Amino acid sequence: MASNRKNAKFDIFTKIALIFVIAIIILLVLLPLANIFKFAMDPGGRVIFTDLPKSLVDQEIVKNTLKLGLTVGTLGTLLGFFLAYTQTRIEFKGKRILHVINLIPIISPPFALATAVIVLFGRSGLITRDLLGLRPTLYGYPGLVIVLTLSFFPVAYMNLLGMMKSLDPALDEAGSILGANRWKIFKSITVPLLIPGIAGSFLLLFIESIADLANPLIIGGGYTVLASRAYISINGDYNIPGAAGYSLLLLIPALLVFLIQRFWSQRNSVISVTGKPTGRINPIKSGPIKYLLLTITWFVSILIAVVYLTVIMGSFASIIGVNNALTLEHFRYVLSGFGGDSVKTTVILALIATPIAGMVGMLIAWLVIRRVKQGSQILDFLGMLGIAVPGTVIGIGYAITYNDAVRIAGYTIIPQLSGGGAILGGAIVIVMVYVIRSSPAGQRSGIASLQQIDPSIDEASASLGASGFRTFRLVTLPLIRGAFLTGLMYAFAHAMTTLSPIIFLVTADTPIMTQKILAEADQGRYGNSFAFCVILIVIVLTVMGLINLAVRGRKTTSYKPLAMVQ
Amino acid sequence: MKKIKLISVGAVSALVLSLVAAFIAPANAATDFKGAACALEGSVKTIGGVTYLCSRVNESLVYGEGRKLSGTLNVLCGAQELWCSTMTTAFQKKTGITTKFVRLSAGEGLTRLIASKNNPEFDIWHGGPNDTYIAGRIAGVLDTYKSPNRAMLIPAHQDADGYWTGVYTGALGFCSNTNELKRLGLRAPTSWADLLNSKLKGNIMMAHPGTSGTAYTALYTQVIRLGSENAAIDYMKLLNKNVLSYTRSGAGPTGPLGRGEVAVGLVFSHDCTAAKLLGNPVVVSFPSEGTGYEVGAVGLVKGAKNSLAAKAYIDFALSAEAQNLGPDKAQSFQVLTNSNAKANRNMVNLKKLALVKYDVEAAGTAAAALKKRFDAEVALTSSAK
Repeated sequence: MASNRKNAKFDIFTKIALIFVIAIIILLVLLPLANIFKFAMDPGGRVIFTDLPKSLVDQEIVKNTLKLGLTVGTLGTLLGFFLAYTQTRIEFKGKRILHVINLIPIISPPFALATAVIVLFGRSGLITRDLLGLRPTLYGYPGLVIVLTLSFFPVAYMNLLGMMKSLDPALDEAGSILGANRWKIFKSITVPLLIPGIAGSFLLLFIESIADLANPLIIGGGYTVLASRAYISINGDYNIPGAAGYSLLLLIPALLVFLIQRFWSQRNSVISVTGKPTGRINPIKSGPIKYLLLTITWFVSILIAVVYLTVIMGSFASIIGVNNALTLEHFRYVLSGFGGDSVKTTVILALIATPIAGMVGMLIAWLVIRRVKQGSQILDFLGMLGIAVPGTVIGIGYAITYNDAVRIAGYTIIPQLSGGGAILGGAIVIVMVYVIRSSPAGQRSGIASLQQIDPSIDEASASLGASGFRTFRLVTLPLIRGAFLTGLMYAFAHAMTTLSPIIFLVTADTPIMTQKILAEADQGRYGNSFAFCVILIVIVLTVMGLINLAVRGRKTTSYKPLAMVQ
Repeated sequence: MKKIKLISVGAVSALVLSLVAAFIAPANAATDFKGAACALEGSVKTIGGVTYLCSRVNESLVYGEGRKLSGTLNVLCGAQELWCSTMTTAFQKKTGITTKFVRLSAGEGLTRLIASKNNPEFDIWHGGPNDTYIAGRIAGVLDTYKSPNRAMLIPAHQDADGYWTGVYTGALGFCSNTNELKRLGLRAPTSWADLLNSKLKGNIMMAHPGTSGTAYTALYTQVIRLGSENAAIDYMKLLNKNVLSYTRSGAGPTGPLGRGEVAVGLVFSHDCTAAKLLGNPVVVSFPSEGTGYEVGAVGLVKGAKNSLAAKAYIDFALSAEAQNLGPDKAQSFQVLTNSNAKANRNMVNLKKLALVKYDVEAAGTAAAALKKRFDAEVALTSSAK
């Protein structure tokens, strides 16, 4: 007994869990990153850095990337903020439906939007040309901003909605009793309390938008960004050091913003933990502001609804807007033979990755909050790398690391995992990508819910003689079950819709839906790509529904994970 | 005692062996169709698990050496997705060999072949212009195979050493959206100079030569037409001012073009024809100064894991039967190389076109460096302009 208590902090299970988690992080993130670094230091990669001061083209690409990230980060966060504020502070009809509509982009591949936006708002768009008589050019910066903002703002929305719901209305009341008007309350109470959420949303949107590869490939036009540049380097010019150099260039701002946000929100973290709200929110009833907010909310939601209706209609039309004859040809093509194979493979690999990602996320959360005292911050940071490192960089890192056996001093440590010649036809790296891209969502929601649970429950279990494993299984897991299942839900959606890293790793044995969607869109066959999207969305909704059924009746944490982005 | 035992064991085993041999031998004889007469030149047939090719020997058609195929076949496919799935499905049906493919544009495909050189993931490379195959030969990712079916092709459509063999040909053309042309007050372009018209600013789309074989053919056509790489790059710089976007794959512009996002696309004419047949308001035209053309190829990947099946696949790909699947089943209207393949009214008549003297060897040799030059001097400047 006594010895048990003494070892409770680092018993055998904790040690195994720690080693397991660290090994996962090394294999899934650090090793590929190390290889990116190694290749970027080759003369062919180094030249990108040494020439940067004089290469106007490369400077332009860096500027384009940062400009895109900043715009989408700002616009998306603002939009998310307005919509979340409207949801929590205004009573209106159709609230619930608008909430659901706002979440659709999370469960669909973001470039589904790109093609639909062109169909609607392009030079010959159904709305722009046929209704408004306009000919806007979407290819390039404007199109990218519209598509990426619409794709990623739901992250900010969910994030801020969760925080706004947990804000204590008593604070508002206190302000109002002290004579502050609504604007003053908003400015000096609401916004400061939400700053960590705003910063976190901005960060995720910034990283996601600079890392996105599919949209710049489809509607980037002449607007080259680092991700598309790295892609052309490796896939057009077969210049691995060059691609690694651009990847590193992309990694720097992503990590920098990530670190700043962490540092900053930790300093401010006290005020974000507000506990359970008491009292009722006093809804906004006054005129102009209410109508302004409602207008924005309805506009955005209708926009999203129209875009996704276009996706659905486009999947049944021969060529939507050009030849609107109804057809099932797209679905027949997509579901038969090779298209059907990609549906099967993607679902299987995502289903394998989902529980692993969920477990890894929960284990890291548990270790960070309950077990590891020194270096818990570092562990938390390493666990989040999967989302902080741009997907394009992960993909290139995997391709150059696992395309051959990993050898140390001539001994094979890990056999070749990527490429068609690898075991299981390269399926393992795809599962690895899914896991590392999805586990941060589980980790965040796990940490959030563990922080709300008194550690004395764990300690009680340990002092009654339970091993670490027993405590984790019988005490911790049931308590964070809700967070775990929420994490699983996002992990699955995330895996199903991920593309940027996958594009470098698909093989003949592992056809992946998102890659097929991109291929169809890129070859100009929007109908097939829409049909793929519809099927993908239906699958994600079904699986999410099943997980939801499993959670129903159980108390779930209201906290929504930060990192459930595409 | 011992002796008797030994003798009886020997006798019994001899009996068993001869019985087995007696059963197997006629069975073998029955399934070996080598040298047997066959009907359709170039056709691949699988009988009793053995795959044969029917070819002409001394004026009579007979089956060649049988191949007992097994395992799976991985195809790197450089043509349209539908074409790729049609071809691989047909081969699988014919031979029973599980046949999978990844569709990658020419440049991307070559990259993957080079990246997996030490442990090849593909057995076959099928579709896409032959200059990329020549670049592949130079990079050491292709092997030779001279299919007997090459006899049905003209010499210009095959590599003398057998690194690649042509399966179709196509000519570069201008694909124009008729509504957009009308709006701009233009006729369909009929010369390379027409593409430089300032009215077409931001109204042209083509693929990126780095990733797309189509676009590389277009780029090298300028080298031939204008006499030097420098002149070609200069032309592309001028054209770049009118280009809205470079797509990854060659047929990529047809989608936005059909929608009217741009007025003109620089694509292989058969991709434009396919778009037109789907109902897009597009029209094909050709430059009077001469246009470039491709010979779409098939080649054996060096170190292929399943080279036996790969060779049978090449035989199949060269047969009239397989080539006819393009126009019949896959909305692909390239001109076919097999002399027995059917002509289709949607195919372009290459004999009536002004063509440049496309030097595919030179194009393949220059590819790596010229693609880099295009990237640095043309495509990327669009973001800085």
